[in-house]
Amino acid sequence: MFVSKIPITILTISFLAVIWISWITFNPNQEKSGLVRFVSITELDLVKENERIRLGGLVKPGSISITPDNQLECNFSLQQGEHNVDVFFSGIRPDMFKDEAEVIIEGNYYGGKFSADQLQTKCASRYEGDLKDQSSYKYKNT
Amino acid sequence: MIPVLGSITLSIALGLCLIAFSLSLIGIRKKEANFSISAFRAVNLISILNIFSTFLLLNELIGSNFDIKYVAHYTSIETPFIYKITALWAGQSGSLLFWLCVLSVYTLIVTYQEKRLVTAYFQCVLLVLVLVQSFFLILLNFIENPFEPINVDFIVNNGNGLNPLLQNLTMAIHPPTLYLGYIGFTIPFAFAIGGLITKKLDSIIWIKKIRRWTLIAWLFQSAGIILGGWWAYQELGWGGYWAWDPVENASFMPWLTATAFLHSIYIQEKKGLLKFWNIILILTTFILVIFGTFLTRSGVMSSVHSFAVSDLGPAFLIFIFILLIVCSYLVWLRLPIFKSQKKIKSISSRESGILLNNVIFVVICFSVFWGTIFPVLSEAVRGSKITVGPPFYNQVNIPIGLILLFFTGAGPLLVWGHTSKKAFFNNFKIPIIVMVFLFVISFLKGIGGAAMVSFSLAGFSLAAILKEFWRGVISRKNQHNESLVKAFLTLINKNRNRYGGHFVHLGVIIMFVGFTGHAFDSEIEFSLKNRESIDFNGYRFELASLSSEERPNHFAYIAEMKVSNIENKLITTLYPEKRVYFHRHPNPDKRQPHSELDIYSTVRKDIYSIFSGIEQENQTAFFKIMINPLVRLVWYGGYILIIGTLIILLPDKEKSWI
Repeated sequence: MFVSKIPITILTISFLAVIWISWITFNPNQEKSGLVRFVSITELDLVKENERIRLGGLVKPGSISITPDNQLECNFSLQQGEHNVDVFFSGIRPDMFKDEAEVIIEGNYYGGKFSADQLQTKCASRYEGDLKDQSSYKYKNT
Repeated sequence: MIPVLGSITLSIALGLCLIAFSLSLIGIRKKEANFSISAFRAVNLISILNIFSTFLLLNELIGSNFDIKYVAHYTSIETPFIYKITALWAGQSGSLLFWLCVLSVYTLIVTYQEKRLVTAYFQCVLLVLVLVQSFFLILLNFIENPFEPINVDFIVNNGNGLNPLLQNLTMAIHPPTLYLGYIGFTIPFAFAIGGLITKKLDSIIWIKKIRRWTLIAWLFQSAGIILGGWWAYQELGWGGYWAWDPVENASFMPWLTATAFLHSIYIQEKKGLLKFWNIILILTTFILVIFGTFLTRSGVMSSVHSFAVSDLGPAFLIFIFILLIVCSYLVWLRLPIFKSQKKIKSISSRESGILLNNVIFVVICFSVFWGTIFPVLSEAVRGSKITVGPPFYNQVNIPIGLILLFFTGAGPLLVWGHTSKKAFFNNFKIPIIVMVFLFVISFLKGIGGAAMVSFSLAGFSLAAILKEFWRGVISRKNQHNESLVKAFLTLINKNRNRYGGHFVHLGVIIMFVGFTGHAFDSEIEFSLKNRESIDFNGYRFELASLSSEERPNHFAYIAEMKVSNIENKLITTLYPEKRVYFHRHPNPDKRQPHSELDIYSTVRKDIYSIFSGIEQENQTAFFKIMINPLVRLVWYGGYILIIGTLIILLPDKEKSWI
């Protein structure tokens, strides 16, 4: 009688696992599912208040202002072509964060302002780059 | 001259692959020994040529021949000797050559060990090895040639140098260890294909060999993954050791299926069960290895580990597609053999327990696979870019991992065949008492949720395994009248498979306890001026001084951070640094900042300090402090796991080592 039980048990487990994984993936009401959508500034108005999103763009020159009494907080403007969005970020800023730096921010958008808790700078890596690019540094022109 | 020689060597090796392939096929078809022996020699020659060309590249790297693009990109005159060697696997084409070199060494070991060259089985194994080698040779010859001359219109006097993050001794060991693991799975794969073609799946020698080779690869894979985590924790400064990054996932997936395979091949060895399942697992493992290599090489996923975007993607996809077709066809061809196999009789037997644990491994593997490819699928299907972060993997895998933790202990308590109610009660009694006890303690201490379950289950499994050791030692002590220590040592020595396995499980349980510590992590980001202090989590952090120093290849700001407890007693002084590499570069964009962290580590918790930045104008320094409980147990568990695997792998006196 036990013989038939084993394949059924395995099938049940696999079935439950698939349901479990899909539930985590597709349930839109989850706060911290770990799935974060990349959006552009023009799509921001369609984003729900509690949805975590990612946004990429350039730091608008001259827009960075650090809160005087809390050095960890800052406001800046993120640029995507002609569009801008105001960003508030609290946390340690990466070394490469400055005017015109290419950044990716993650957080929520509400009331016309993006509140970010993650800020990454994208930098062109020295190590996979074009050799000519570095001729001023270590390569002698002949 | 040498670069040309290198390129030619690679071309000849590829040509020889074609010859070896044809000879081997003729040998199998016509059953003529001469062809088989020639094929065998050709394979040896190919492997030697591959190793030779790797040495040629190494020679150029060490000699700083910047006429070669690869050498100019990854080394400079100032690069220390050891990192000139490690530059071999720092970039795309060099690491592909290194892949091939490792595979060639493995191939030579296999050909050296096999005495009966002319059997159809061994010829099939050779055929598979040649095919995999020729795939990499095609890549090296036509897409990414490591000997490619530099294509700039000026003389290169010095190269780029190796990324400072990679200039770390762990980074010198981690990639080759992982490679030995990854590539090692090619050998069991070749054995599996050979076994499928020549219907050798029942041979006990075949089972023992495939199991041993998988175990060797698994050992390196495990060590490589743990080393990678250790390096990330010590060096990268985000306070964790595992980020569910696509490339980490790529190394984890074949590890999962290989782990499942190592369990179920044991059942095949003991009981002749699960042949079909085993073949599927080992074939999947190798396909996942190639898939993982594809993820790292193609640039399809953005990741800290990935190399630059390249044209390798399509080639890998074609290879994976061919592998899938060939494997499916062979399995389909041999279905009748699998159909006649024996079946598991009872659900409360050890074999069904192992089978269930196998299913769990595969489920975890699937979830990781799903999370890894989901961004690509989502962009293709719905057009929206999505990133899948650690919360997804943690949410999915914490419950599944806990079930696995339970089976780690429960498996050895079950009896082969069928566990009677009496044996069930006897074996599970003490572990269940321990589990309930820990459950209550955790509850009273206010530990809730998954952590509470994890601690209880870890207690259960730990008790189960220690009980196994105890039972064995006591019965040996009574039978042979030995001292406890001697009984313990002889017990392990006489049953290396069994007790080595218990050690591995012990390591895994301890690692799980370490993972659980993650639930209690806390962190704070703050800014301090000299002599200021901040209180956090029962500790006081005081910035005692801030100094700077110029060193040969970087400039460093050094913080002296005094850590004391509530009673104001000094616990330790941490010296995290903020470094700038290439600090003399005229272009500020080219200077590379780096945070060198400092950790105060105990078994209970780590105090992890990161000097994130400094504001020159008002002399304010930014810090991030993390309190990470139980992290050390992850490394301790890792050591035990490796020791356990080595115990299993120790050669018997009479038999050869493999």
